[in-house]
Amino acid sequence: MPHRSRPAAVAALLALLSGAAAAADAPTAKPDPHANPTDPAKVEFFEKKVRPVLVNHCYHCHSADTKPAGGLRVDDRNGLILGGNTGPAVVPGKPEKSLLITRTTPENKKRRMPLEGEHLSQEQTEILTKWIADGAAWPALRVPASLGRVRPEYERLKKEHWSFQPLKSPAVPAVSDAGWPRSDVDRFLLAQLEAKGLKPVGDADRVTLIRRVTFDLTGLPPLPAEVDAFVKDASPNAFEKVVDRLLASPAFGERWGRHWLDVARYGESTGPSRNIPYPHAWKYRDYVIDAVNADVPFDRFIREQVAGDLIAAEEAAKQVKTGGVRTDTGWDFFAPFRFPEEFYREQDRLLTATGFLALGVKDVNQRFKIRFVMDNVDEQIDTVTRSVIGLTVSCARCHDHKFDPVTQADYYSLAGIFTSTENASGLRNQMGGGGLAYYVPSNLVRLTSYVPPVETAEIAKLKAEAEEAKAAWDAIRGTPAGLKTQPNGRPLQFQYRRKYDTAQAKVLALTDPAARGFAVHGVRDAAAVADTEVRIRGEAEKLGPTVPRGYIKAFEVPGAPAVNREQSGRRELAEWLASAKNPLTPRVAVNRAWQNLFGTGIVNTVDNFGVNGGPASHPELLDHLANRFIADGWSVKKLVRQLVLTRAYQLSSDATVANTNVDPGNRLVWRHSPRRLTAEEIRDATLAAAGTLDPKRPHGSPARELPMIEMRDNGPEAQAINEKADASTHRSVYLPLLRGVAPHALEAFDPVDQTLVTGTRDTTTVPGQALYLLNGAFVRKQSLALADRLLKDKAATDPERIRKAYRFALGRDPAPKELERAQAFLGEFESAARPLYPEHLAPAPRLAKRVAKPKDEEEPFDPDQIDQTGEAVAEEVILPPDARTAAWAAFTQALFGSAEFRFVR
Amino acid sequence: MLSRSAHRTPHSALPVSRRQALKTASAGFGMVALAGILGEQARAAERAAVAAKPLAPKAPHFPAKAKKLIFVHMNGAMSQHDTFEYKPQLQKDDGKPGPGGGTLTGSKFKFKQYGETGSWFSELLPNVAKHADKMAWLRGLHTDTPAHPQAVVQLHTGSANAALTRPSMGAWLLYGLGTENQDLPGYVTINPPPNFGGAVNYGSAFLPAHFQGTRINDVGYLPNLKAQTESDLQRRQLDLIQGMNRDLAAAPGAPDAVDGVIESFELAFKMQGKVPELLDVSKEPTKVLDAYGANEKRTAAFARQCIMARRLNEAGVRFVEICQPGWDHHNNLHKGLIDRTGSIDLPTGALLADLEQRGLLDDTLVLFGSEFGRQPTSQGADGRDHNITGYSMFLAGAGVKAGATFGATDEYGIRAVEGRMHTNDLHATLLALMGLDHEKLTYRYAGRDFRLTDVKGNVAKEVIQ
Repeated sequence: MPHRSRPAAVAALLALLSGAAAAADAPTAKPDPHANPTDPAKVEFFEKKVRPVLVNHCYHCHSADTKPAGGLRVDDRNGLILGGNTGPAVVPGKPEKSLLITRTTPENKKRRMPLEGEHLSQEQTEILTKWIADGAAWPALRVPASLGRVRPEYERLKKEHWSFQPLKSPAVPAVSDAGWPRSDVDRFLLAQLEAKGLKPVGDADRVTLIRRVTFDLTGLPPLPAEVDAFVKDASPNAFEKVVDRLLASPAFGERWGRHWLDVARYGESTGPSRNIPYPHAWKYRDYVIDAVNADVPFDRFIREQVAGDLIAAEEAAKQVKTGGVRTDTGWDFFAPFRFPEEFYREQDRLLTATGFLALGVKDVNQRFKIRFVMDNVDEQIDTVTRSVIGLTVSCARCHDHKFDPVTQADYYSLAGIFTSTENASGLRNQMGGGGLAYYVPSNLVRLTSYVPPVETAEIAKLKAEAEEAKAAWDAIRGTPAGLKTQPNGRPLQFQYRRKYDTAQAKVLALTDPAARGFAVHGVRDAAAVADTEVRIRGEAEKLGPTVPRGYIKAFEVPGAPAVNREQSGRRELAEWLASAKNPLTPRVAVNRAWQNLFGTGIVNTVDNFGVNGGPASHPELLDHLANRFIADGWSVKKLVRQLVLTRAYQLSSDATVANTNVDPGNRLVWRHSPRRLTAEEIRDATLAAAGTLDPKRPHGSPARELPMIEMRDNGPEAQAINEKADASTHRSVYLPLLRGVAPHALEAFDPVDQTLVTGTRDTTTVPGQALYLLNGAFVRKQSLALADRLLKDKAATDPERIRKAYRFALGRDPAPKELERAQAFLGEFESAARPLYPEHLAPAPRLAKRVAKPKDEEEPFDPDQIDQTGEAVAEEVILPPDARTAAWAAFTQALFGSAEFRFVR
Repeated sequence: MLSRSAHRTPHSALPVSRRQALKTASAGFGMVALAGILGEQARAAERAAVAAKPLAPKAPHFPAKAKKLIFVHMNGAMSQHDTFEYKPQLQKDDGKPGPGGGTLTGSKFKFKQYGETGSWFSELLPNVAKHADKMAWLRGLHTDTPAHPQAVVQLHTGSANAALTRPSMGAWLLYGLGTENQDLPGYVTINPPPNFGGAVNYGSAFLPAHFQGTRINDVGYLPNLKAQTESDLQRRQLDLIQGMNRDLAAAPGAPDAVDGVIESFELAFKMQGKVPELLDVSKEPTKVLDAYGANEKRTAAFARQCIMARRLNEAGVRFVEICQPGWDHHNNLHKGLIDRTGSIDLPTGALLADLEQRGLLDDTLVLFGSEFGRQPTSQGADGRDHNITGYSMFLAGAGVKAGATFGATDEYGIRAVEGRMHTNDLHATLLALMGLDHEKLTYRYAGRDFRLTDVKGNVAKEVIQ
């Protein structure tokens, strides 16, 4: 069926298009009806009469130092105006509309505030009423003198710091050894080596080279047949053929997509402090991998992730304008629009891209909404600026940047773009609370391919039950009866809440577009777009002057559009970031690629090109590459191809004493730096060698089954995820990656810290890695699988099997000495192990089950009272069936444990 | 210079091996003049020499009063008003409205004074109270967020900002001091809360992974520690691995880290034997087990943690944290407290006695307390809500001025009014006791120098000997 009816999609589309118009009405320029009166008499009235009432009667439950019960705080003017869950507590000038009055007076019988302690007297109510009627004056904040101060050193840095200057077009240098270079890149490198009197080492042998390039481009080892074919291929372009094959394989996107996911701090849950899953995050992961495989131009890739939703709206508008809309039945103005299938796919792809901005760490338990919002904005600013332009802009949240020319005002002009953007991750902040309290289905981004559910009798029944449960909960919550303690120590209302939660969850399971796969975590323009205020000392509540939305001013981007005042400004920010005239974006991008192939970036601090970043080892080469990257249409594949075809990339890793003495870190690239494989590569290579790797992409992620409810480390949900990850034989990039729940098979080898932009991974060597390789269930299982693979061929001789094992695991043949050693090991191990298998019984691999301690059924779940004391832990035990298999498994495990396995040279 | 310039080393600005570093240092002296990028490399080589043994003991900034730390963490906020914070005015005004709202509620538990210092404890903590004269009290503590997740994370990392995860204090200690016993992890956390930040509370964040805490559960389980093969068989296998590793180390283009790999296997093999033995509390004499309450149902679980803590401390582990959750008494305060204190009082008292008896308190600092305190007013029929504006913790052991009290809250125990100490001040004080200047213990990440105490922190000299 090529076309399908999409009435809902059209409605969504029209809403998208009209969103901009609605946003134009946002009160950006009108006088603010909430403006704080500055009249000293009014402020004095507040201090003398009003504040004492608030302190004595309200602070106990509604202040920063205690809690914002019901989402409300009264120790801050904006907190009162913003209000709590039931609406604004104060509407300046309108006491009759202010809950601060209506909820505290005797008319409010059932839940008159304060719930505990003395009620307000008639006189106190009059004081509050007068104060609100007079505009609700509050003492003004003192704006620090440093704010907006001109900093002469900033002007100097803008002119002088190298990375802020436009790209240069450096001439390719001349070299003495003209026969050595294969490309201009080689000439840049050789010129510097020659200047230091260094000579590059010889070329790598082909076996080493194909292992290197296959891991570097795909994160996998080459197949033995691929090694043989390359070694035998005498054609002059043998290596090019290998490179082109690797670039075209889907595994390229899985490896280079993973590089971007590191930088994009990708994770499938919010992380601390209440860890809520992002069940649709995997769609963003797949988006990234597909984009890399499709070689989406890098500038476009950035634009999509920052403003995919707005680009989708533009493209939809274009589609309508050009009459590209078709229907199955010809022209019929009353029939619903039908778009070609690709149209929805592309729209959904663009919406999914904005997951980049939504999938950060979030503190959903942040009690104060404005802090939640500003923390998320900061997280987005940090991610966007460090990943794309390599600057630590979020240092300017609280004060002007200490090193780079980024003022606090610059920060808040950027922040205004993000405060005008709705973080549609599907979550809200909430004080305490378990269950679905944090989940807001309507906040997710609904995909355009959405098909509404058929309203069945079952759904109607569940909805009615949920309504009933809600009514019961609403009736009892906060009333004296509801707060009465039951024998189990809990207030009575607790069970009403639980009943409501359960009923609601049942409805959502059948109706929630998200539960049915039609939603992503992303962003959209907020209902109201507006400039935001500088926050004094970075404190979310302390409002300074408003600054117009815009970009940081550390450098110029000629021709970049100004922010569209009618929208959030992300569309223009995307252009500014992805402009060929942006001095940082292309440099940062090519430098990341360089690091991924040569080990160290030309600038070794890949996420920091600011004043405190490392100096470039080859500044001209960096600009040369950046210019070429832009000229090649920002093609990452062309960039990678160009780099691996250099002579420099193909050097051996041999170290000479003379060179080591001058340049021990190999920053001048006189050899190829060996590197340790990443956690993902180590796992994938193990599966590949064992013959158990499933190269297909799994559908989704185990995390997609999780409801958006808090998940505890080591709790049952995390346990189930871990079990699925343990059982998976898919590539590691597809393992569930909930923050704080690293898959066992990755955690030993420095997996990326998913909370922050991470362009460079750690490579530690710790005993935990050795313990994992000696005793870990995954390694033992795969060793056994490889042993079985070798033993399966009954006709083979042991030396043949050993040779095969070396080729599978290390990509090379064993030396005679190694062959001999392995044979001796196998013989000795087998005879030593034989007494352990007296009856030739095959013990089946067994999984020890986790034993949860018996829980009191009466005790309802309380997320703040988790006690794992006395819980046993599951450990999978892998036992080979007989002494011979045990010996072979011990041998293959030794190959996986060897240092050679985890390094590429 | 070493640590300050310790950039997050890009993974293959490859740590130069010690061999190579030494070679460079001797042969390469004349090269110092090389400008720019090469000039950096002498420092890189020096760094690498340190990186080869990142956990080796390091000299403190000044002579340390304490070499090791044990943190007894009462997760969930133990009510100070019912245990060790005696406020006569609160008892007197029981039932009256509190100054900030709510109803003042005195403790239902009896208090009395202990020791020469006359410290007040309620009947809930008779065994802890026996050590009154060893303690120094911090009674003016306050923190930033009245919610467990942020406060627990702040107590452990100094910052509650979820978006920029910081290293935990144990990680900072290892980074600053290394550890004495190279055959054991330097930082162990037992039964840490699975929520409230989870692994962040013992993580290394942007510090290298060597410095992160090793988590074990309260029965001493550590993943991958149990050998899955007979010991002699595994030794054969290990010999094969090491043979292959040594061949590689001898090859011309070998990765420098191979030396480290060889060492890590030997250490792991040793740990397999040593660690389970160390964590097997059943090996303790019956007298000791009874003293901790290891055979009593209500105390057994925490007793196990306390005994493991002592054994790890004795073996030279720099920092051990043990944890008892379940103090969040918004309701069921009375029965809940009897229950909880009943499980921790005897073991905690026994731990302090045992450490003292073995002379371990001479170089070990003990910290006891929660992420914040509770209100003197009541919540519901039988509960107390969180209080971040004033609460207490105690220190005992090495370097501590026994009997000192620093800081105080108001007459009801709502707000710290004297000797106010923020979490950053607490950390500054702990580091000072361990011989570290909190302003000098820095790590450069994302272009700036980070500290456990961020840009704040004052040392409470009043509690230091």
